[in-house]
Amino acid sequence: MANIAVQRIKRELKEVLNSDEVARCSIHVELVGESFAELKGEIAGPPDTPYEGARFQLEIKIPETYPFNPPKVRFVTKIWHPNVSSVTGAICLDILKHQWAAAMTLRTVLLSLQALLASPEPDDPQDAVVARQCKDKPQIFQLTAQHWANAYAGGPSVNPDYENKIRRLKDLGVTEMNARASLSSCDWDLERATEQIFS
Amino acid sequence: MAVDEEPDTTAKNSAGGENTENKRNESRGEEERAFECNICLDTAKDAVISMCGHLFCWPCLHQWLETRPNRQSCPVCKAAISRDKVIPLYGRGGSKEDPREKLPPRPQGQRTEPENTGAFSNFGFDGGFQMSFGIGAFPFGLFASTFNFGDPVIRAHGTNPANLEDERFLSQLFLWVAILFIFWLLVA
Repeated sequence: MANIAVQRIKRELKEVLNSDEVARCSIHVELVGESFAELKGEIAGPPDTPYEGARFQLEIKIPETYPFNPPKVRFVTKIWHPNVSSVTGAICLDILKHQWAAAMTLRTVLLSLQALLASPEPDDPQDAVVARQCKDKPQIFQLTAQHWANAYAGGPSVNPDYENKIRRLKDLGVTEMNARASLSSCDWDLERATEQIFS
Repeated sequence: MAVDEEPDTTAKNSAGGENTENKRNESRGEEERAFECNICLDTAKDAVISMCGHLFCWPCLHQWLETRPNRQSCPVCKAAISRDKVIPLYGRGGSKEDPREKLPPRPQGQRTEPENTGAFSNFGFDGGFQMSFGIGAFPFGLFASTFNFGDPVIRAHGTNPANLEDERFLSQLFLWVAILFIFWLLVA
């Protein structure tokens, strides 16, 4: 790995670990292995959002050409958000693509992702199904995002109605993850979700 | 967490009763951080500064500009930035540092000469020459150029008498040519 990239990551880790955000447990970064090419990030769901109280794991891959090119970041924890793929965790965020600038750091990237959680951009979506729900049925979107945060990221609020519907599908032999994904994309309409799975 | 601890000026002094020393070290660390390159986060080497006021190592900034030649923007504030619009910073003793040969030289500082107030040569001879294009002004043009000979003669005076002789001869020659020309014009 290029020397400048290694030096940068070393300095950035120091900066991040001394930052106020780490002290407040709002973000966290650690190395994966010894190579400085891969890191594990974690962000707390911002307050007053469906993600509040949840913690999301991120995979951060540092390219050879860092910091001249952006790090590759992906959600490892599943999340229901218009700008994150509900299947792969891929993120649609301009600063991780063409709007990257070499002065940005791991800290600013994680804070930007937190800001993205707080203000979704359904008009520039990564996951079209989530984006449509976010625009057309904001109420259901909120509840679904909250439910996913509870199921995958340790969020606090439990939704008995949604849990019940998932259990009904599980009884038909569907895995919990598939049941949740189908129900979410069908706005929790059990009939439509069943149809979608078995057709 | 395997972060190498580098020798750092902010390193805490563990010996007791040296709080003042610690404080001094910390403030020095702050000062040095103010001169960190915004790209490599190390103290800026071959420092340049953008028009928007952001500090970089020239090798770092050059690589950034090379990475995206079509959309050159400041890595900090995304203002327009280009090779010609950064200013090199020269501190005392900075040149003693390793000049990285393989990297492009820093762009030149833009140094303009102070305005030269006594610049007669700016318009004297050229002015005469341009006037000679118009037929009506032709004789005046010749006169203008002959008048201008006065200036270099005065300046050359005392430095080289041989030059002075040549100049005087030339100016007389031109004067005669001019007179002959005007005479020919009148006759023809």
